[in-house]
Amino acid sequence: MHIPDAFIPLPQAAVYWIIALVFLGLAVRWARSELNEDKIPLIAVLAAGIFALQSFNLPVSMGTSGHLVGGALAAIVLGSPFAAVFILTLVLIIQGFIFGDGGITVMGANILNMGVIGGFVGYYSFQGLLKVVKNPYISSAFAAWLACLIPALACAIEMAIAGTFPLVPGLVAMGIYHAIIGVIEGIVTAVIIYVLAMARPDLVDTSVGVTSA
Amino acid sequence: MIDNKTFLIGGVLLALVIGIVAVFLASGDPDGLESTALVVSGQKDLTGLSPEDGDPEVIGTGSFAYESPMPDYSLGEELGSTGNMIAIVVGTLLTLLVVLGASYIIRMSKQGQY
Repeated sequence: MHIPDAFIPLPQAAVYWIIALVFLGLAVRWARSELNEDKIPLIAVLAAGIFALQSFNLPVSMGTSGHLVGGALAAIVLGSPFAAVFILTLVLIIQGFIFGDGGITVMGANILNMGVIGGFVGYYSFQGLLKVVKNPYISSAFAAWLACLIPALACAIEMAIAGTFPLVPGLVAMGIYHAIIGVIEGIVTAVIIYVLAMARPDLVDTSVGVTSA
Repeated sequence: MIDNKTFLIGGVLLALVIGIVAVFLASGDPDGLESTALVVSGQKDLTGLSPEDGDPEVIGTGSFAYESPMPDYSLGEELGSTGNMIAIVVGTLLTLLVVLGASYIIRMSKQGQY
């Protein structure tokens, strides 16, 4: 759901940039207090992995493909939605400037959707689900599914405000496609959290509940 | 348990393998946003296949244009999938370096405070 430059007029794109910069500032504050010798390798590996996985488009039928976004993954593993903002912003900067994937003027909107909304939806729905379901993998899979679907709906609303998509057809199509793409998001997120919990349970945030005894 | 250095190197190697495999196996179909653009511009049915020559950006109204050095993770037609692989490797390693760099700068600025 990387929005290209053509899809949002400049004044609106500027508004999304301002919102994104507020959250980016808070993400830097998070990074200042949380980054240490153990967390830096984890953040670096997650970012490199998210970049690679975002290039892996899987077919989801209906002439459409999708890939992991990674906002829920980053937020759950690092225990903060601001981790998602931090990592997704840096990934989006590289994708936009080097590969033309996602626009430059609209980068604020992409940070808002995939980093901020994806990170917050992923993190808080995971925390809520974990209390009920008690299983971190099922909870993270469903949280990640929501963290794909909700940003896509937000994107459809932004497209309607921009005059690029009509509201209802945009919401319907974005919703249907990302409800399926979200299954990829859910499965891949749960698998990666499982692998991390096997390799280095101490690095996974204690709220996930996989820390080794 | 593996140490931080092994974790970092192993994780990045795994990312590189995923990225290179993606060059050959990833679907070329438009993503959810592009498909929606094709639907609302009348180039595609909601549940139908996407047209080979569809242009999702036809409904765009923006005027800003930016030429990236490796558009669409490609180094041009001649280099083909070799170019795609180079682009993915460069992007993955660049992501790693930028995140490591940003993290160390943020950590140094914190230490400078005290």
